[in-house]
Amino acid sequence: METRYCGKDEWEDAGVQPRWIQEHTDKVNPLQRRTRSWSFYRRRRNFSSEHVTSQQQQDSGDVPMDSQARYAPYAVPSRHQRSSFQKQDQIHINMEIKQKPPERRMERGRQNETVGSWFKIIIPFGIKYDEKWLLNLIQKQCSVPFIPVEFHYEKMQAQFFVENANIACALKNVNGKIFNEDNEKISIFVEPCDTPRSVQKALKSEKVEQMKPVFPSWFPGDLMICDIGMTWNHRNGMPASLHIHPGIRSKLSSLDQSNKKPYVVHSLSTIMENASHTKNWNLSNIEVKSAGEMDKGQQLEPGRMGADRTAMCTTSPDKSTNISTILELFPKLLSLDGQEKPSGSKCAIEVPKYLPMCKGSFFGSEELKSLILQFLQQYYLIHDYGDRQGLLCAYHEEACFSLTIPFRLKDPGPSSMCAYFKNSRNMKKLKDPDLRFQLLKHTKCDIVQALCGLPKTQHDFRSFMVDMWFQTETMLCFSVNGVFKEIEGRYPGCVRAFSRTFITTPATSSSFCIVNDKLFVSDFSPEKTASALHPKA
Amino acid sequence: MRKFRSDWSQGDREQYQGRNYFSEEPHTSYSWRGNRGQEDVVTSPLKKKDSSDSPMAMAVEFKTYVDQACRAAEEFVNIYYETMDKRRRALTRLYLDKATLIWNGNVVTGLEALANFFDMLPSSEFQVNMLDCQPVHEQATQAQTTVLVVTSGTVKFDGNKQHYFNQNFLLTAQTTANNTVWKIASDCFRFQDWAAI
Repeated sequence: METRYCGKDEWEDAGVQPRWIQEHTDKVNPLQRRTRSWSFYRRRRNFSSEHVTSQQQQDSGDVPMDSQARYAPYAVPSRHQRSSFQKQDQIHINMEIKQKPPERRMERGRQNETVGSWFKIIIPFGIKYDEKWLLNLIQKQCSVPFIPVEFHYEKMQAQFFVENANIACALKNVNGKIFNEDNEKISIFVEPCDTPRSVQKALKSEKVEQMKPVFPSWFPGDLMICDIGMTWNHRNGMPASLHIHPGIRSKLSSLDQSNKKPYVVHSLSTIMENASHTKNWNLSNIEVKSAGEMDKGQQLEPGRMGADRTAMCTTSPDKSTNISTILELFPKLLSLDGQEKPSGSKCAIEVPKYLPMCKGSFFGSEELKSLILQFLQQYYLIHDYGDRQGLLCAYHEEACFSLTIPFRLKDPGPSSMCAYFKNSRNMKKLKDPDLRFQLLKHTKCDIVQALCGLPKTQHDFRSFMVDMWFQTETMLCFSVNGVFKEIEGRYPGCVRAFSRTFITTPATSSSFCIVNDKLFVSDFSPEKTASALHPKA
Repeated sequence: MRKFRSDWSQGDREQYQGRNYFSEEPHTSYSWRGNRGQEDVVTSPLKKKDSSDSPMAMAVEFKTYVDQACRAAEEFVNIYYETMDKRRRALTRLYLDKATLIWNGNVVTGLEALANFFDMLPSSEFQVNMLDCQPVHEQATQAQTTVLVVTSGTVKFDGNKQHYFNQNFLLTAQTTANNTVWKIASDCFRFQDWAAI
C-alpha cells in the first residue's frame, strides 16, 4: 500500500496546506520491471487471514460497520485500517533480481534440439497456487503436452522440469497468457538446467551418458531469475508477518532457509512480530499472535469505537486487556517467598513499587504522526519566526485559549515569569468566576492578540514529546511537552518548560483548525538548560 | 499555514444536547458540589441551548457554560486525585467504559485494562498546583458536552522519586433530567521529567 506522506521538504514550505487526508494508491499495479528491483502489489485472496483478531473485534461488537464509511478526516479509511479485519489484504513485496547467467551451461551449449536436454520452468509467486490447478492452467495454453518433473515450491516460486527444448519453448510461450483468479498474469520463465536429481538416479543404473544440454536459438542469454532477497520495509518500521494458506503450509518445508534475510510482507494485518524473530521461524507456526505490544513502541492504529454515531471514540486500542499484558508493562514482581509471580495472577500480596517504563511520543498512527508534526512545525514556524498574527487562520472563530503558570513563580528575579503572570489562569488560586471568565480568551482575535503579547520565543523541536490522546472524526486532541527559549524581552535566553494541549477539528476538506488551546509554562531547571536546549536547525 | 482558508466552515450550530447514551443509576444529588465520599462527579443539569437566542443571550450563555465547566472541573479534580491516592480501586468509576489512558506513552484502553493498570501502579501522593479547564467547542464534540481539564503538580509514587507531572482529561457529560454526571473519556498523563532529554 503506497501511502503518500507529506515529506520533510513539504514541511519546510510554510505555505503548504497540512494534509490530514493521505493519498492512498491501492491500485493493483501490473508487474513492472525495473532495473534492479520489482515491487508489486498483490491481492492476497489466496491467503486467509484466519487469525486476525483486532481489538475492535474484541470489545466493540456494537460498532456500526457503516461508520467506517463515514467521512473521516482523521481516521484512516476503513480499507486501509490496519486494525480492522480485512477480507483483502495486500502484500507489498520488494524483490531483488539478480542476474544469474547460466554460465557453464552456456559454454557447453549448442544450438540443436535433442532429447535429454532439461529445462527448469519457473513460475514466480507460484507458491500461491495449487499444483494441479497451475499445471492444468498451463497445459491448457501450452501448444504441446508436457510432463512436469519434480514439481516443487522453492522460496516463492513454483518450479518443475521438462525434458525437451520444444516443450520448454512451448511453455515459454505460455508466459503472459495465463491468469490467476484475480485476473493477474502468471509469468513463466524457462532456463536450461542439469538433469533433475530424480531422473539422474533413475538413469544412473542404466549408465546413460548425460547429454549435454543444448540451447535453441530463442533462448535468451540474459534470463532474469527472481531471487527473493528481501529488504526491510523501513517506511514505518513495521516488522514482518507472513500469512500462509493452510493448504500450502506443508509445502513450505522446502523453503530454502539458507537465505536468512527476513521476508518483508507489508500487510494490513494487525499481526506484528518483532523483526529479530523472523530468522527463527517455525514454519508450522507462521501465525503470530501479538501480546503486550504496548511496550514495543509499535504503531497502533487509532481505533474507532463507539456506541453510536455520535459517541466519542477512543484512541488506539491496546492489544490485550488481560492482566498478563498489563503485567508486561511492569517489571517482574517477586512474591514474598522469593518465587516469581506466575503470569496471570493478580498482585495481591506484594505491594507494587514499580512504574511502567516511560515511553516516547505517542501518535497512534503514522498518518497522525505526520499530520501532527507538520501542524506543529508550521505553527511554531509562524509563532517563533513570523508575525503571530499569521496564526489567526489556525484558529476557529470561537476557539478558546488559556495560559497558566505555576503559582509560586511570581517573584521578580532573573527568570521571572511576570510576562505570563498577568494572563495566567490557574483555577487552583483564582476563584473569582468573572476573572476566570475574562482570562479565558474566547475568539481567535482575542487569542492571537494574547499570543502577540507574550515574549518572543524559540521552541526546541528536539525536546518535543507529543501525545495524541483522543481522536474522533471531528476532533483530534494532542499535547506537546517541551522547552523553549525566550529571545526577547526582559530575560532573553531564559529557558522555559511548556506543556501545550491542542484540540483541533476539521475546517475544510483538507485543513483543520484549533478550537481549544491550553498552554502551561513553567520554569526550567537551570542546570539542565545547557544540555536540553539545542538551537533550531 | 498561509493556505488555511478564511472561509472555513464553522459547522452548524447544533442543538446543545446532553446525550445520555450511557445507562446510569439515577442520582439523587442535585447539588453541583456532588457528594463527598462518592466517586461520581455530579453537577446540576446543563442548560439547554436555544439557537434562537440573541447574540447577547448567547454570550451570557457561553459564560454560563464556562462557569459550569469550571465547577465540574474543580469538583472532578478534587475527587479524582483523592480517589487516586486513597481509594484507588474506585478510580475506574470516573472513566467511561471505553476510556483511554496514555500514561507516559503507555496506552491503556477500557475499564478492565484501566482497573488492572491502576491496581499495578504503586500508591501515590499527588499534589496539584495548577488546574485549568476549557469547554470544548461543540463543533469538535458534535454537541457532546465536553470539558478539557488540565492539571499540573507533583506526584510521589511509593518506592519512586518525586516527579512533576502534566495531565489532561477530556470530561464528558452524561445529562439526565436531574443532573449531569461527568466521566473521563480520555486521560493523558506525563511526567515532566527533563532529565530524560
